[in-house]
Amino acid sequence: MALNFQQRTSTFVRRALLGALIVVSIALLTVYAREGDGGFLHQVQGAVSGIVAPIETAGGAVAQVGDDAATAVEDAMADESTLSELREYNAQLIEQYAQGEEYRQEAERLRGLLDLKDAYKIEGVGARVIGRSAQAWSQAITIDKGASAGVDSGQTVMGPTGVVGQVVGTTDNTATVRLLSDPQSGAAAIVQSSRAEGIVRGSLDGLLYLEDVAADAEVKVGDVVLTSGLGGSYTKGLLIGTVVKVSDASGGVTRKIVVSANDEASLLEEVLVVFSAKGSSIDSSADEDANASDAAAGNGSGEGSGETGQDGTEGGEAAPASDAGEGAEGSDAGSGAGVDSGADAQAADSGANGGVAA
Amino acid sequence: MTIEREDVIVAVGAVVAVILQLVVAPNVILFQAVPDFLLAYVLVVAIARPRESGSILPFLLGLAYDLLGTGPVGGMALLFVIASYLAARAFTVLDNDTLFMPLTILVVATFLVEMLYGGLLILLGLPVSPLDALLYRALPCALYDCVFALIMYPVMVRLLAGGSQDRGLRTPHLR
Repeated sequence: MALNFQQRTSTFVRRALLGALIVVSIALLTVYAREGDGGFLHQVQGAVSGIVAPIETAGGAVAQVGDDAATAVEDAMADESTLSELREYNAQLIEQYAQGEEYRQEAERLRGLLDLKDAYKIEGVGARVIGRSAQAWSQAITIDKGASAGVDSGQTVMGPTGVVGQVVGTTDNTATVRLLSDPQSGAAAIVQSSRAEGIVRGSLDGLLYLEDVAADAEVKVGDVVLTSGLGGSYTKGLLIGTVVKVSDASGGVTRKIVVSANDEASLLEEVLVVFSAKGSSIDSSADEDANASDAAAGNGSGEGSGETGQDGTEGGEAAPASDAGEGAEGSDAGSGAGVDSGADAQAADSGANGGVAA
Repeated sequence: MTIEREDVIVAVGAVVAVILQLVVAPNVILFQAVPDFLLAYVLVVAIARPRESGSILPFLLGLAYDLLGTGPVGGMALLFVIASYLAARAFTVLDNDTLFMPLTILVVATFLVEMLYGGLLILLGLPVSPLDALLYRALPCALYDCVFALIMYPVMVRLLAGGSQDRGLRTPHLR
């Protein structure tokens, strides 16, 4: 009897616990979905990301250990007579060469970043990639510079060949960067030659798509795609990539435009966080066009938001929410950093979902 | 309340699963499919201890998964709790002493969790089609998760069930 009672109680407690945890989970989900990027759960998520970054860094070492072990097994299987002095000497040379090659490639990457920095007159900070996304549904990296180095949510991040993503969370010494290839990314973009505007989005298949381009806009393979700065989330005029495929050149809603991604996430080792860029690739006429279309679309992304990337000064007034249209939420370009806060990123994201390039 | 040997094993296994997720998962990506060691571990424990497994471990590991990434906090916690409960119940009812049933439950549960997580993300604004979510993430990830679950299963069964769930390659039959 006692045993039966105990079992019944145990079952009741377990089911009650199950129900309670389901309710807690749903409550967390609801709070997370409703709070902004600066909300408590987002902050906790960012803090955890910073805490585990050193463990993630160990992953690279583990992969190296795996490679070394495979090599060791391979060597052990070889005929003993083949392990001559000459082979050892050869191995030493290969090791030295590999080390030299490693330094050379690193120097090349850093030179690439420096070139970009000079070309765009970028004010920013260089950072090393110390962690990569451990999840299938998101494409993110962790870098070793955080709030203490001036890194803030919403800032654009560049790889050696162009824009690779945007900061979405920071701790004192690390930052989480959502890559452009993440399906949740959305960067307002412009085709350099035809000035056609659109949104570059990531996808689950790993490709970047230029969407929401006007049906009559001419886009062809090889066209250079830049950030337009509309919505204020990405610094204006930075290289995103080039068009590599246009599925239906005649335009229309079914047209799919594929843009080459700048860098594979797995290959990124050093990046540049952009505070401001003065040497935009978009000329002043394009600037006027962009502002005109911005105003015409009534998306209220804020007068200053499109210009902060250009001149690095404080932006103008943020558009009032009532003028915002679809993409205006908190488009505050007046942060003085040239690039915007998390709220701006959200504005661009929401704008990217329909407002900015309309 | 006493802490039993099995509870310690489950706790240590959970820590190992978190470390594997952090350290190994980013380095074994196949066709953009990233293994979910935490999901595999939760399901394996649910099947290895169908009557004893509770909801706290799945909740905590789900929460860990959510906090380690950039997805919605609470999403995986919810799915882990539900999937763990259903997997344990299904195993209790359907087990027929062959490897077929745990395997089937693992495959179905991992696929459902990955698919439902994709659906949840779409519901929260991820701009992808359900078909893309199925083809590019849910299906490959579920298969990948199953591979690691099948590696974990015999180990955890040996440690937790003391060999009482040893399976051979027998023909499946209904009870």
